[in-house]
Amino acid sequence: MAEEFEPKIVAFLCKWCSSAGADLAGVSRMEYPPNIIPIQVMCSGSVSPLYIFSALSQGADGVLVSGCHPGDCHYMKGNYYARRRLALVKKLLEYIGLEPPRFQMSWVSATEGVKFTQLIKELVKELQPLGPQTKLRRNF
Amino acid sequence: MRRTGVFVCHCGINIAGTVDVKKVAAELAKYPGVVYSEDYVYMCSDPGQNLIIQAIKEKKLDTIVVACCSPTLHETTFRNVAKIAGLNPYRCEIANIREQCSWVHREKDKATRKAISITRSIVEKVRRNESLEDVSVPVTKRALVIGGGIAGIQASLDIANAGYEVILVEKSPSIGGHMSQLSETFPTLDCSQCILTPKMVEVAKHPKVKLMTYSEVQEVSGFVGNFKVKILRKPTYVDADKCTLCDECTKVCPIVVPNEFDMGLTGRRAIYIPFPQAVPATYTIDEKACPGMFDTAIACGKCADVCKPGAINFDMKPEIIEVEVGAIIVATGYDLYDKSMMAEYGYGKYPDVLDGLQFERLLSASGPTRGKILRPSDKKEPKEVVFIQCVGSRDPELHWPYCSKICCMYTAKHAMLYKHHVPDGQAYIFYIDIRSGGKNYEEFVHRAVEEDGVLYLRGKVSKVFEDNGKLIVWGADTLTGKQIEIAADMVVLAMAIRPSKGTDELAKKLKIALDKDGFLAEAHPKLRPVESMTSGIFLAGAAQAPKDIPEAVGQASGAAAKAVAILSQERLFHSPTVARVLKNLCTGCGMCISVCPYEAISLKESKAEVNEILCEGCGTCSASCLRNAIQVKNLTPYHIQEMIKACLGG
Amino acid sequence: MVNLEQLKEEAKKILSSGKIKYLIGYENIGASWQVRPAFICRPEDVDRLVWTPACFHNLTRFIHDEKRKRAREKNPDLRPIGLIIKGCDSRSINVLLQEKYLERNEVYLIGVSCELAGVIDETKLRNHLGGLKPEKILFGEKDTIKVIVNNEEREIPAPQILAKRCLECPANYPVIADIILGEKIKRNPTDRYKSISQYEKMSGPERWAFWLEQFSRCLRCYACRSVCPMCYCDECVADSIAFAVTAETTAEEKAQKIRWVERNPEPSENIFFHLVRAIHLAGRCVDCGECERVCPVAIPLRLLNQKMEKEAKELFGYEVGFDASQPPLIACFRDNDPQDFIR
Repeated sequence: MAEEFEPKIVAFLCKWCSSAGADLAGVSRMEYPPNIIPIQVMCSGSVSPLYIFSALSQGADGVLVSGCHPGDCHYMKGNYYARRRLALVKKLLEYIGLEPPRFQMSWVSATEGVKFTQLIKELVKELQPLGPQTKLRRNF
Repeated sequence: MRRTGVFVCHCGINIAGTVDVKKVAAELAKYPGVVYSEDYVYMCSDPGQNLIIQAIKEKKLDTIVVACCSPTLHETTFRNVAKIAGLNPYRCEIANIREQCSWVHREKDKATRKAISITRSIVEKVRRNESLEDVSVPVTKRALVIGGGIAGIQASLDIANAGYEVILVEKSPSIGGHMSQLSETFPTLDCSQCILTPKMVEVAKHPKVKLMTYSEVQEVSGFVGNFKVKILRKPTYVDADKCTLCDECTKVCPIVVPNEFDMGLTGRRAIYIPFPQAVPATYTIDEKACPGMFDTAIACGKCADVCKPGAINFDMKPEIIEVEVGAIIVATGYDLYDKSMMAEYGYGKYPDVLDGLQFERLLSASGPTRGKILRPSDKKEPKEVVFIQCVGSRDPELHWPYCSKICCMYTAKHAMLYKHHVPDGQAYIFYIDIRSGGKNYEEFVHRAVEEDGVLYLRGKVSKVFEDNGKLIVWGADTLTGKQIEIAADMVVLAMAIRPSKGTDELAKKLKIALDKDGFLAEAHPKLRPVESMTSGIFLAGAAQAPKDIPEAVGQASGAAAKAVAILSQERLFHSPTVARVLKNLCTGCGMCISVCPYEAISLKESKAEVNEILCEGCGTCSASCLRNAIQVKNLTPYHIQEMIKACLGG
Repeated sequence: MVNLEQLKEEAKKILSSGKIKYLIGYENIGASWQVRPAFICRPEDVDRLVWTPACFHNLTRFIHDEKRKRAREKNPDLRPIGLIIKGCDSRSINVLLQEKYLERNEVYLIGVSCELAGVIDETKLRNHLGGLKPEKILFGEKDTIKVIVNNEEREIPAPQILAKRCLECPANYPVIADIILGEKIKRNPTDRYKSISQYEKMSGPERWAFWLEQFSRCLRCYACRSVCPMCYCDECVADSIAFAVTAETTAEEKAQKIRWVERNPEPSENIFFHLVRAIHLAGRCVDCGECERVCPVAIPLRLLNQKMEKEAKELFGYEVGFDASQPPLIACFRDNDPQDFIR
């Protein structure tokens, strides 16, 4: 049997909720596939659309932006701005024909180690059948 | 090119068990710009730290990456190490290869590959870091304590006794909280009022404590060491200095409303003192109840007519008081879960179905029945009383998943005290488990069973309904497998503990997080249990999680010690990783100003300008800027771009 | 109908008053029907002005040049510049005001209403005329356009040859101006987002095939950017060459310039460039359609911008260019912004 495709996912995790939630998954010794590379940012609100385009251009098979639940943002409002900005990014990427699972956003709180684990498992499962992301990848 | 050192920690087998740390170190040694790479069993140990210091000095490293546990644990440790070795602390970064790698993966080669990617991306980050000096600000040497229950009182006393000013804000007319409503306390059965009242008086009389009852926090701004708080002082319409507590006013007040102190079992007047030992000892006109205040704007004035000292002042207005404090303790306590959610147990329908706090009032010598156990419906002594535990708790499907923690103990106490009052009566307790962890707690439960003949039934109650003047309780005894029917005279529900009403709104004002159940979230479940995620704001008592009196008091003292640790500083240091404007790219469009949660940005000569003291470095401004003209130091788009490159390469 | 003589009269009046530095309007190129921007400095030159369905250009774009010039000059003439603006152009003025790029008193605005017409689509006209060359193109009565071919006047119903953006225009009259000529007659577009609807219905792979084909043609000539009233940045984040280096630029800043997009006209880079442009224009693009019109390889750029315009309206109730005092699209939020895409 051919080895299953291992997607590379760049995950922008906000320091206060999602990265802490990912830490909790670790502390609780949960298990998820090693396909995600976390990049800790201060707030989901600091994730520029450029970061997402850049990750896809540099060959990410998927990009995840995860922040605090609405109302829980450590900086009060950052995740609301992220939600609006990244909704547009998602619509735009899908509009030019990028497969919807390639760019995802989630709310993961510092207590949601289980949710984080589940999320990564699902993401990998959704990306595997799509194969490598070549649409936006720079190939020179 | 920078000279970067990489230090890979085994963390015993915590990392080395899943990640080939030797390989990580070897791969990183080959990475451009890395001039030294080493692994060690415990980097955070003294020898580990020394190893880093030695390497920095001998190899002339100018940046270091420690690949170890989450930066929340040891970032400070290793930045200090860098400092000791003569580097700017911001030349040190942490690669999290434990929580976000070794602990969550099982396949060694894949985990190793991921650890290498993570570490490389951090190498790229650190080599672009600037040396930064902390921004420092002076500290306001005063604390704010929100909530005047036992936790808030204890915290206030501890801070005041350490020599710092305290402002204690309580939203109701008296401090004391739920503890003042209790009869006796487990496991010693000492009178709650007797041990609480002296503390209430002490805090009110303390020269360093400014007590603000009937007041609420309205707005909070600023940051650790320098909070600005607006407190709304609601009008009591009674001048406490003039009031002589003669109680003539309540005799003439025509309005009766349910008495919240007696949990609605009695009534009180529109002008009232919450309870005889209230602190401050004065009356309050409940403006929602007094018809003059609420409906017609013409008070009947009977209270004012009989008030000889002339303490009643209908012209009192709400006041907003602005205070500056250096630290805040939130001790807003709990409320019981809304009983209307428990239709199957007939609460609200049957007057003899009570909650735990109502039963406390029946037991209390100062309560509605002067300490006699009498049914609210017919004032007869109940001979069969059923106590139901875990009402709304430990019920993830319908109510709350968590254990309310104190109900096992207080129900045992209730049953025991009931037996002391009605020796020929029978007490039944339906329980799921008995959780009696605590000093002398287990013994206390045994005493209830053995000395007082309380009958424990393991199982849940499905229904309570009235039949022929009796409350029929249907339940199951899961130990015998039998269905049980008890014809009871009274049913007492151990309702789930909920964060007090308004906790969510207050949390928003304070910019602190709630946990999934709505309690205030601590910064770390084990190691930072009294701190919120926001620096300078601490948690005490049941607002953080259900807890009993000794735990609440203990946490309050802990929070007070944390607050004192801040107040005792002359200056506090603020992270220098704040936003910076690249002036020649800025067009002054003002988007960053609109999105900044801290109002830290303003326009100066058509360019954005950042107030470094107010900026928290969240970076929302940077993502909104179309020109990348505003960037957070040491986490600029340039950092991110290079990190993406590194973690996708290879 | 906009009276050309009245337009000239107004132009003359304001130029004679000396209150403006110059007026930018439209003039014919030689004797042809084609039109180009005209910079009128003297009152006696106003006769050059024309107003026809071929006045495509969004002249607000020239504000950028003027502002840059003023920044360089020692003693700049700070009088406002005059602009003739259509409905779409006026909305771009509003966005520039919203972004504080412009102060209201920096421009004098002569608004012209498109009434029931607008500007033509050259391809549609060519097809309509079956290869014949038009000599003059003028506004006709009501919603017709007068085209003179072989000395013969033809009245063509405007919708047949109007540009798509005009048929989908939400306000075919200026929403901000110092004076407005012509009537404020609103053409209610039957479907404001008609252009994109067929692409929205496509499957993902079909859309990708379509866009890949479009973007592969891009030469990265940056005409779209040059003509855009919103592209006023000195340095384009999506272009590694247009780095703004000034006397204050430090070596470190230079070293830290990010090459998000390479200059090679490879599909991947072209796509990145246009994605950045689309996202940066979200909530700012007023659909003047100039980018698409000037594209030498006919990339349908409106389809990207209109998509963002539609999402802004449908997801966030945000309309571009009608209110200069509202916060920009991505600098505000509503508590109930949709989040069904978030897991």
